[in-house]
Amino acid sequence: MTGGRILRAWAWLAVASAVTTSLAFAGSHGRIVAAALLLLALIKSRVILSDYLGLRAVPPIRRGFMVALVIWAGVALALVLAAGQP
Amino acid sequence: MDDTRSLLDDLPGDLMIWVLIVSEVLVFGAGLWAFLAVRITDPSGFADSAALLHPVRAGLGTMVLVTSGALAALAALRNPAWLWGAAALGGVFLWLKWAEWGGLVAHGISTETHPFFTFYYLLTGFHAAHVAAAIPLLAIVALRRRAAEIEVTVAFWHMVDLVWVLLYPAIYLIGASA
Repeated sequence: MTGGRILRAWAWLAVASAVTTSLAFAGSHGRIVAAALLLLALIKSRVILSDYLGLRAVPPIRRGFMVALVIWAGVALALVLAAGQP
Repeated sequence: MDDTRSLLDDLPGDLMIWVLIVSEVLVFGAGLWAFLAVRITDPSGFADSAALLHPVRAGLGTMVLVTSGALAALAALRNPAWLWGAAALGGVFLWLKWAEWGGLVAHGISTETHPFFTFYYLLTGFHAAHVAAAIPLLAIVALRRRAAEIEVTVAFWHMVDLVWVLLYPAIYLIGASA
């Protein structure tokens, strides 16, 4: 891990977080936005795991975390879809 | 040659902090699933409740937390003095949360107002408790300046970050959808 990598990670997190928050302004809701929000959460999670927690040096373990988080997001999305839309 | 070496030996830091990280992510992940499951019973009620929150202020909290995480990572890499910055931003995050809760309480919104708020207070409160617990730890390891202690404490701090990037969209944004 280097200082440059940490700063790049921060930049990615800042951009992804800004995009996430901007969806609150979009006034759009629904399934596609929910999927986009969960995808952004996964992207941010991967950055944190890779560069903040240092799992970039241990790809199999990072992969294990991401598989679990993808499963989490998949179930979360299924629950969102199950709520339906009026 | 040590033929007993496993993948776990390559994990940065102490194995037990990773056990803690995994368990915390599992607990919060299950809590968010429960939130989304109960939302099925009353999507419009959840949306109406979430409309009383301030997603932009919470989004600002996200920026504060990930910036704090960057400072903590730099502290572990280069200079423990950055831990003071990380701790200070953690304090800013808690101040934002306190302001948010205070606003809701002032309007008479409690855990019993609606199931949304039961989950909201529980999950954001539990997360904030982790932030509050970690801040003095950051200060202590900043003073002691022992690399192993800094590494473990910073890993805990990153876990707090990780949980928040899952929690924020689920409660503040998806919860607002109907």
